[in-house]
Amino acid sequence: MADVLSEIVLPEDLKKFEKIYHEQLYRNDVTPKAKFEYAWCLVRSKYPADIQKGIVLLEDLYRNDVEGQRDYLYYLAIGNARIKEYAKALGYVRSFLSIEPGNVQLISLKENITKKMQKEGQRGIFVAGGALLAVGALVGVGVALAKNK
Amino acid sequence: MSAGPYNYSYIFKYIIIGDMGVGKSCLLHQFTEKKFMADCPHTIGVEFGTRIIEVSGQKIKLQIWDTAGQERFRAVTRSYYRGAAGALMVYDITRRSTYNHLSSWLTDTRNLTNPSTVIFLIGNKCDLEAQRDVTYEEASKFAEENGLLFVEASAKTGDNVEEAFLETAKKIYQSIQDGRLDLNAAESGVQHKPSQPGRNNLSNDQQANKDNCPC
Repeated sequence: MADVLSEIVLPEDLKKFEKIYHEQLYRNDVTPKAKFEYAWCLVRSKYPADIQKGIVLLEDLYRNDVEGQRDYLYYLAIGNARIKEYAKALGYVRSFLSIEPGNVQLISLKENITKKMQKEGQRGIFVAGGALLAVGALVGVGVALAKNK
Repeated sequence: MSAGPYNYSYIFKYIIIGDMGVGKSCLLHQFTEKKFMADCPHTIGVEFGTRIIEVSGQKIKLQIWDTAGQERFRAVTRSYYRGAAGALMVYDITRRSTYNHLSSWLTDTRNLTNPSTVIFLIGNKCDLEAQRDVTYEEASKFAEENGLLFVEASAKTGDNVEEAFLETAKKIYQSIQDGRLDLNAAESGVQHKPSQPGRNNLSNDQQANKDNCPC
């Protein structure tokens, strides 16, 4: 459940759209629809490698299929945010909003990305704090060992 | 999203479905923000909204997936039906075609959700009486024949919007009380009392279970 940045595609769905895409790829006749559906599933995967792959497909679609560009921008933002490429994600959000400034869906995505960044920023501080403690402990052990000698 | 993760005892998953331009996102926006979006662009893929409500003294968090009505999104949005406890099926009372397509939306819903999923039919834009193309009686009969709850609403004025979302929750809550809805079933669309923050993610949990499966 959760939200657009954390929901996970079901493996059987990913497989289903992957199969369609690969069949078309084999026939050398990939439709933007099949490519987009597969990419849309990939960027919702729990594996960063899948998300990366989805981003590559979406970038390609964005360059070559004018019709769906707003969709591609939106999912490029989501994909990048999910692998913590926040600057890129927000860049895509900005390009979208420069064309459709009042789009509620994008404004809410922007808020979600910012929130996620803040949350991880805090966690980053905790991790750094933990590392400092560990270093402190090591120094302590070192001092104790030195004294024993 | 409002408030912390602890102040509710249930999470219900909803989906909103129906043809393009019937006002699905506007209904969601009216329900979560109590505002009408006059210029609503087509939704891309799916949009997500939440609100905490109260039913019989129980705080319930609604997690609402608002699906895009455009045909090209249909194949993938179908996967969001799974595990929905409530489905709001919307048509536009001023456009008969959107009403005529209901049976196809209903078939999808029945096929992709579970028997205990509460389906609520909403005839939106009832403020546009002069342009009405579908009578209340006709839709009401359709709802009755198919065992759906039904209301005419207006995302613009807010009429009956609150009611539709709340009635659906009441019906789901009733099913839980009656024991008709199995909370332990992965696809019930209901979660009881999230215990830790960050763990209240059903799909993640499902995923984890699948990965641990030794088969």
